[in-house]
Amino acid sequence: MTTTSSRLSTSQGVPVTGRPGGAGPVQPTVVNDAVEGPFDLVDTVFEVADVSVFYGDYEAVRNVDMKIGKRRITAMIGPSGCGKSTLLRCFNRMNDLIPGTRLGGKITFHGEDLYGDHVDPIEVRRRIGMVFQKPNPFPKSIYDNIAYGPRVNGVKRGLDDLVEEALVGAALWDEVKDKLKQNALALSGGQQQRLCIARTIAVKPEVILMDEPCSALDPIATAKIEDLMQNLTRDYTIVIVTHNMQQAARVSHRTAFFTADVDREGVRHGRLVEYDETSKLFTTPSDERTEAYITGRFG
Amino acid sequence: MASASAGSAAGSSLRRSRPRYGEAVIKGLLLAAALVSVATTVGIVASLLPPALRFFGEVGFGEFFGGTEWTPLFKPPSYGVLPLITATLTTTALAISVAVPIGLAAATYLSEYATPRTRKVLKPVLEVLAGIPTVVYGFFALTFFTPLLRDLWPGSGEGPEIFNGLSAGLIMGVMIVPTVASLSEDAMSAVPQSLRQGAYALGSTRRLVSIRVVLPAALSGIVAAIVLAISRAVGETMIVAIAAGLKPEFTLNPLQAMQTMTGYIAAAGEGDLPVASFDYTTIFAVGLLLFVLTFAMNFLSIRLVRKYREVYE
Repeated sequence: MTTTSSRLSTSQGVPVTGRPGGAGPVQPTVVNDAVEGPFDLVDTVFEVADVSVFYGDYEAVRNVDMKIGKRRITAMIGPSGCGKSTLLRCFNRMNDLIPGTRLGGKITFHGEDLYGDHVDPIEVRRRIGMVFQKPNPFPKSIYDNIAYGPRVNGVKRGLDDLVEEALVGAALWDEVKDKLKQNALALSGGQQQRLCIARTIAVKPEVILMDEPCSALDPIATAKIEDLMQNLTRDYTIVIVTHNMQQAARVSHRTAFFTADVDREGVRHGRLVEYDETSKLFTTPSDERTEAYITGRFG
Repeated sequence: MASASAGSAAGSSLRRSRPRYGEAVIKGLLLAAALVSVATTVGIVASLLPPALRFFGEVGFGEFFGGTEWTPLFKPPSYGVLPLITATLTTTALAISVAVPIGLAAATYLSEYATPRTRKVLKPVLEVLAGIPTVVYGFFALTFFTPLLRDLWPGSGEGPEIFNGLSAGLIMGVMIVPTVASLSEDAMSAVPQSLRQGAYALGSTRRLVSIRVVLPAALSGIVAAIVLAISRAVGETMIVAIAAGLKPEFTLNPLQAMQTMTGYIAAAGEGDLPVASFDYTTIFAVGLLLFVLTFAMNFLSIRLVRKYREVYE
């Protein structure tokens, strides 16, 4: 894991500001070594059992089984069109918004069927937040962006404290504390993405889903987001889809590698190939397709 | 470009090999098309001004804007335009109070709630409503809606007169609903999907996404739609001429007969006023006032749109 250590050492040059009680630059922990004990001992947040996702008649993802551990960063990697984003969007039922989407199999959240009859997708999304590929702040002030989630969830008092707390938590407070009334679209791309993270944690979810959160950002902004993710694991479970293998190697505890199978009719279906601790998957993958992908021979 | 290797004169090889007259012709035609509306506007002002100036040479602004009686064809005449203005205000306010809520609700439904299939059917149907000639709406108001209002009138009084501003205004509102709905729906559909997704991911209901995210982001287009609706209501002639009556009354009571600015122009223009007479110039004075009002309204809408336009870019 030479890439990991070298990458983390450069990111030390970018101090994460505004952490509560943070004095001086943050020493990022090498998370891959921080996994205590075997995975089975970590609480399971999501359990994916034989899940297939359909758009109309098209089966985009086929027969996936995996468990997502609590307060862990789980990365999903793989070539384009392998269904990793599709699967991610099942975790907070964002796929419900696309007409004709159907789920086979079962996803449970703390043992409760996420697609059960009595489950309210609004409540699901309040507990399981999401950060998107392209920063999508609302065309409102920085303050109103953060306050949006609490407001729609009925919070009326103490918004100022909530906003500050969320911005501190997303390592953005020091940069924006003097211009909270300014339009969020005036921020840089990296700041906008941290604002979106702050907006998400203002709702106090349990899980944060990230769909290629850094693909529109430059390396410095990416490093800040990655540092932030490490800090967030103290409170949050993170599932991240990324095209960037180095990123998965740097930040995640466990990595799932997806690829697309082509069936007899030439239709592509996403499949989970291998799911393991990140350090193991990137050093001694057990499947040759994983090895081909991570060594750059394919994808 | 073809090279000069064909042995043309020793000039530059980058020179145009043959003239392109087509470009110039097309450019000229397109410019002419663009100028038609400008020229028309200038022409309207030019034709309105001389008679209107003749009118204002004899009738002062004080009498015109201060008087409460509009009886230009009586002896002695009275040239107070306020009754026409109050009638226009009353019918326009009624029309807007119908068109804006219904239009916005329809737009919100089409843009945020309807399935693609429903939208594909409903939107064209709604737009067909905009193609119905206004004379049809006028007779609908006079022969169907007014009797209905009078039959169902709950109060102890007499209810609306046969000709009244209420019926004309409400039906005019129905006429404008498609305009408001269609333009607002365009503005709402143009709001990036990523904003909606962001809002849904924070636990918003569809209602909250519509009200707190989509509506504010589409505000510029919605404001433009409302201003256009007001302009149409102010300028609408046929419905008020048929259903509101021909009696200039200085009142805001919609149950009475009233004559709007457009109603007067239509009625006087249809009449047998001698073209060169002074009475004839009253039409142009009212016409100029109407022109200035709608022009100001459109100008305002452009300013508003420009102010809010860039919100989500």
